[in-house]
Amino acid sequence: MSRGIQYTSSPLLASRTPVWRSKLVVGAIALAFCGLAARAAYIQVVANDFFQHQGEVRFARTLDLPANRGRILDRNGLILASSVPSPSIWAIPEDVEIDKVKLQKLAKLLEMPVAELSKKLEDEDKTFVWIKRQVDESVAKQITALNIKGLYQRKEYKRQYPEGESAVHVVGFTNVEDKGQEGVELTFNKELAGRNGSRRVIKDRLGQVVEDVGNQIPPVDGKDLQLSIDSKVQFFAYQRLREAVLEHKAKAGSVVVLDTTTGEVLALVNYPSYNPDKRRNLSGEQLRNRALTDTFEPGSVMKPFTIGLGLETGRITPQTIIDTTPGRITITGSTISDSHPNGVLTVEGVIQKSSNVGTTKIAMQMQPHEMWDLFTQAGFGQKPQISFPGAVSGRLRPYKTWRPIEQATMSYGYGLSASLFQMARSYTVFSHDGQIIPVTLTKNTEPAVGVQVFSARTAGQVRKMLQMAAGPGGTGQKAQTIGYSVGGKSGTAYKMIGKGYGTDKNHKYRGWFVGMAPIDNPRIVVAVMIDEPSNGKYFGGDVAAPVFSETVQQTLRILGIQPDLAVRPQIVAQAAEESF
Amino acid sequence: MMRLNLVLLLAVLASAMYLVSVQYDSRRLFTELDKARTEAHRIELENERLQVEKRAQTTPARIERLAREKLMMRQAKPGITTYVTYSEPVSVADPVHAAKTLSAGSGAVQ
Repeated sequence: MSRGIQYTSSPLLASRTPVWRSKLVVGAIALAFCGLAARAAYIQVVANDFFQHQGEVRFARTLDLPANRGRILDRNGLILASSVPSPSIWAIPEDVEIDKVKLQKLAKLLEMPVAELSKKLEDEDKTFVWIKRQVDESVAKQITALNIKGLYQRKEYKRQYPEGESAVHVVGFTNVEDKGQEGVELTFNKELAGRNGSRRVIKDRLGQVVEDVGNQIPPVDGKDLQLSIDSKVQFFAYQRLREAVLEHKAKAGSVVVLDTTTGEVLALVNYPSYNPDKRRNLSGEQLRNRALTDTFEPGSVMKPFTIGLGLETGRITPQTIIDTTPGRITITGSTISDSHPNGVLTVEGVIQKSSNVGTTKIAMQMQPHEMWDLFTQAGFGQKPQISFPGAVSGRLRPYKTWRPIEQATMSYGYGLSASLFQMARSYTVFSHDGQIIPVTLTKNTEPAVGVQVFSARTAGQVRKMLQMAAGPGGTGQKAQTIGYSVGGKSGTAYKMIGKGYGTDKNHKYRGWFVGMAPIDNPRIVVAVMIDEPSNGKYFGGDVAAPVFSETVQQTLRILGIQPDLAVRPQIVAQAAEESF
Repeated sequence: MMRLNLVLLLAVLASAMYLVSVQYDSRRLFTELDKARTEAHRIELENERLQVEKRAQTTPARIERLAREKLMMRQAKPGITTYVTYSEPVSVADPVHAAKTLSAGSGAVQ
């Protein structure tokens, strides 16, 4: 055989193939392999990170795991606020393809005028437009069914408030981002909000999750918050208050109900109120939680404190005779008078008839610092220790700046100011055997431990006087209620108009009543305030006491407390002279 | 030697095929699990929504209105409430004491 490869015996092809050709092919293939190896090395070693990243971008997704906002419950576990899914509709106007029929259907579903909707959809400069935020889930499903290109939905949550306007001042509300704006929603926003989580996953071509990758951060749901509010008490108080405000053509009103064993707030209502679902055109008048934010001169409600101090220090006894004739007393040139001359009274009678002169005579035996200490201990001039936005401290000036006439007026409640809530709390001194107890808006079943202000004996004596004030011949007879013994003090004051109290023709009034029941072993303190009653009646005993009466009755019935009085078919009220 | 290599090659191939199938199964099952989880979450939310709705239907405002208008009911006042208190079981042998306890128990009714 000669050198070379013979492929065929055909003589035509018998010419020898040169050896370099096969070598060239082998060489070329070898080079190609080298190229592949180099590329593989480049991809897997040198530029590995880049390619890994590019791959992940194409199949890995980070999913948000939203945390649920905690619910707000009342003391019996009924829902006061809860978040429910409520999708928001948005669009990319450029991509939207919609015909007239669908446009009308969509407008109808969203309860929007067609013109407004098409205006939103035609704004082609924008790449993102909210069409409507937080629609009902059923509506969202129907919108999905319309199958409109360029229209999308985003999962969002909406806060629902089943109790509506009766509880809104306590519960508050959240904004569209689910952040607390008012009330408990604001105060406890951090606890309620929870923390969002996230997870990283691989999705396949169809968008289905096929694998978890990396660390998963689980969402932390917000904690449920149980309030001390009883939604039934809250509702009844709101209803009665609204009736009273409308009946007396008043500007506003508030009711506070406290449980005096635990210090829980059972109800805190204000009128006018608003519906948390319809918050357009809200005014400050509606928004304000008056019971906590509005202060006024407590007036006659302060008298029991002055008398209590006299009893506690042994200066007087309930039967000490105080001569209030002629119904006037002059202190450093200023005259204090009673609205009706009361003649000679016992200390009990001073409270029962609400005599300014009698109270002043007792107060003038005391040192200013004693009174200041007492008022401060009872919470006046102090911001209430309650977790609620906007609670005010009221005003109580330091005793060193008191002039004698100021000491006198302060003894019956003028020259200092307090909110209705502070007044309600201060009365726990009498209802809790001389202790002022801390109050709370969250559920607390433990008996409250308070600070001793008066002895239990003094508290009992003052309670008896309060009962007389709400009994026959007292100023607050309309506070009586069927089945339960009550005690309390009414108050009426001229409202400040500018710098004074107005002239005879344009006096504006405020009437209120603070009391407790059952009187021998009080379970609740109820405070009622009616602002600017202008339908003829304006005394606290006339406008606020009836609300007190009904609220006490309903509350004690709901709490399951047995009546301590033999049940009479109706309350017998004798005509009594009203007093400030 | 050659035969052993062949067997090993086949084994490697079989194991590789098995791996592919297991991977596929695991992904399919994971997708199903994920779907089930999403569904569970959706049902939870639905439950919450229904609870809120139920609560909205049982607010005192609505119940009072329905009770008054549809059922013609009126408010319970102590005057029309019988309070039942627990008293010691009455023995038949002591009729005088029994009568006393009974009258005490119904004292709240008038």
